[in-house]
Amino acid sequence: MKKEKKVKASPYKPGMTIQEMYEARPRLWIVVVITLVIMAFLIAWSSTAFKNNGGTEVDGWAVAKSIIRGIFHPSSSLLFNLTTEGVPYLLLETLCIAFLGTLVGAVLAIPFAFLGATNVVPKPIALVFRTIVMAIRTIPAFVYGLMFIRVTGPGPFAGLLTMSVCSIGMISKMFIESIEDLDGRILESLDASGCTTFQKIRYGIIPQISADFASTLIYRFDMNLRDTTVLGLVGAGGIGAPLVFAMNTYKWDQAGAILVGLIILILIIEWFSNKLRNRLARGI
Amino acid sequence: MALYDKIFKPKVYTLENGKKIEEKASRTPLIILVLLVAAIISVRVTGFNFSTLVKRGKQFWVILAKMFPPDPSYMPSIWGPLFDTIKMSIIGSLVGALIAIPMAMLASSNIIKSKIVIILVRLLFSVARTLPTLVTALIATFIFGLGTTAGSVSIAIFTFSYVGKLLYEQIETIDMGSFEAMEAMGCTKLRAFIESVLPQILPGYISNSLYCFEGNVRYAAILGYVGAGGIGLILNSEIGWRNYSRVGMILIILFITVVVIEYLSFWLREKLS
Amino acid sequence: MIIFDKVSKVYPNGVKGLDNVSLKIDQGEFVGIIGLSGAGKSTLIRSINRMHDITDGHLSVDGIDVESLKGKQLRSFRRKIGMIFQSFNLVTRTTVIKNVLTSFVPDLPFWRVLFGVFPKEMKLKSLEALDNMGILEKAYMRCDQLSGGQMQRVALARTLAQNPKIILADEPVAALDPITARQVMDDFKKINKEMNITVLINIHHVDLALEYVDRIIGIKAGRIVYDGKASEIDNEVLKEIYGGDLEKVGSSEDLLKRD
Repeated sequence: MKKEKKVKASPYKPGMTIQEMYEARPRLWIVVVITLVIMAFLIAWSSTAFKNNGGTEVDGWAVAKSIIRGIFHPSSSLLFNLTTEGVPYLLLETLCIAFLGTLVGAVLAIPFAFLGATNVVPKPIALVFRTIVMAIRTIPAFVYGLMFIRVTGPGPFAGLLTMSVCSIGMISKMFIESIEDLDGRILESLDASGCTTFQKIRYGIIPQISADFASTLIYRFDMNLRDTTVLGLVGAGGIGAPLVFAMNTYKWDQAGAILVGLIILILIIEWFSNKLRNRLARGI
Repeated sequence: MALYDKIFKPKVYTLENGKKIEEKASRTPLIILVLLVAAIISVRVTGFNFSTLVKRGKQFWVILAKMFPPDPSYMPSIWGPLFDTIKMSIIGSLVGALIAIPMAMLASSNIIKSKIVIILVRLLFSVARTLPTLVTALIATFIFGLGTTAGSVSIAIFTFSYVGKLLYEQIETIDMGSFEAMEAMGCTKLRAFIESVLPQILPGYISNSLYCFEGNVRYAAILGYVGAGGIGLILNSEIGWRNYSRVGMILIILFITVVVIEYLSFWLREKLS
Repeated sequence: MIIFDKVSKVYPNGVKGLDNVSLKIDQGEFVGIIGLSGAGKSTLIRSINRMHDITDGHLSVDGIDVESLKGKQLRSFRRKIGMIFQSFNLVTRTTVIKNVLTSFVPDLPFWRVLFGVFPKEMKLKSLEALDNMGILEKAYMRCDQLSGGQMQRVALARTLAQNPKIILADEPVAALDPITARQVMDDFKKINKEMNITVLINIHHVDLALEYVDRIIGIKAGRIVYDGKASEIDNEVLKEIYGGDLEKVGSSEDLLKRD
């Protein structure tokens, strides 16, 4: 399966016969067999995850059917309700959490990014900061959510803080890549024309990374919007809490309304995000 | 943007030799204005409050501090849920990535000629990608009951949408010459796909699937929150009981697992390319 | 006038970049520096605006002792010397005019630098510099949409905008195809003749050098082995400069084919 990609030096040596060359052929089947054995083992081991959970009280299919019916017949009173209980406001709240979360996350991520870039600081220091970022990234969002609720009380503020912290990992990772891609030769020419260090940063570095940074932030905003739904489950604002509530009380038409609103919002934002990022890549 | 240029007229510069050149009005003020308005609205809606953060921010660190030192005696109870998490990610990623292949084929405009099929399949990918894993997991627990099955299904759905989208984009950019040649030799579409397209997309496909798997381990860790099995289950209950030293232990084990898996996957992907 | 007086440069690793070089270059000369890679061409050029420090001897430009300059003095000294690089060294992500405008940055007050607001006369000067190079119509395009030759012209415009008395060019045409290289060399010649700017070029293509420049400096292992008119160069001289490696540069007959 890796046949096409393997680029190895040819085993050919001057003076070899056809027979010898044939004997020297790459023995790829060993790799293939080992890969297959490992795969088979992993599948057998992990397929126990699909175990029978002892059956549910309700028939799964009936529930699935009600959910699908709910999505196609959403509760219009909830979907077009303009109070703070209605889908539009909940979506706005979700958007706001994602937006501010991305902004605050970016501010938090910038120091990590510069301290984690190997062309800015020595390698060991960069490695330390990258490990810290990875640790921050590993803690699941709902754990942060529950922790921040202790700080601010339940509500969108806790959600916003959670999103900020959750954004650090991916944003700083992408920032590090842009920083490490910096073209240092431009600094040389600014140096030759008599610029100070500040001027070199302003006209040599910022123009190079600003488009990349903006693109990363738009992408992260897009992702945060999806992740913000998670927060509602722990009571940190957004559209998740009403969704869970509707489901737990088997109000599938209400759950359907929320899901429809969410899907439409995310699709719109994704479209915008793609468009903007394409423009950034090509230059405005 | 044409409208913007009509409202804010371009500046015209005249050189000494009489040549004229137009400079379009800068977009920067507009962008800053939009961002500012959005930020103000967001602060209002979310109730962002700096003084609360300063006053009560300590609480966050208090909880974090309580996680140390972690409680090693809790280790034996972690392995089961941890392995559940890993299993869910493996089988979920595998199933999702496999289902993605035929569906991605159906979404590629250079393989399938019917516009309707392409649009429908792509819509399916988009909608599946829209749903956050935790939401699909929640729905799945209603259908399959509490436990790892629901978690595996939601991981599979996410993997399906992620790998599928990248895959059909990749298929559309490949060289179609060999596919046509195979079809001309009398092969079926499927046969031609396997023989000519597959070798071209396989490295990218495997690499994308591995990358997705990497992320899925993290996602699988949170699924327990809605009862879909795995390490999130004990994480949630220990936070509920405020057993922070146990929470710390779980997080450390999770961190090590994620690092090991990311390293392995990174190494494999390097090997592939 | 640039004066090298017994200048030597030894790199920290012991390699001799320049070895006892003495030279005098008058205002308005068009000088080509040729030699093998690693012979010290770049070191020679870069020591003039002190991108490299020399370790021995004296180097002065228009009566200013280059080695004594520090901080602010050095920066204002560099304002008078333009520099062109093989890889253009432009910010490809921004527009052409913004690249040219960076040449004014050292003269601007802090707030203008911070916000990137340039006065109108500087914009006009930049546009004129672009017009001089024949790429006025590209002014508001992004640099990464330009060809290599166009990018080198933007770099030239950037340098011209700072109104230099001397232009140092480090392999300016090495990354260009032969036809574009010729066009860029034409530009250099025009700048040299019309504006009386001293031009020093490091160049790999001996044929181009002989065709365009007035004076050739041949350098080998940090020492000057030839210094004279381009028209007086013959095979013997080239052999001296390039050692036995003349084949690498192409057959000498081809090199000397001139009308």
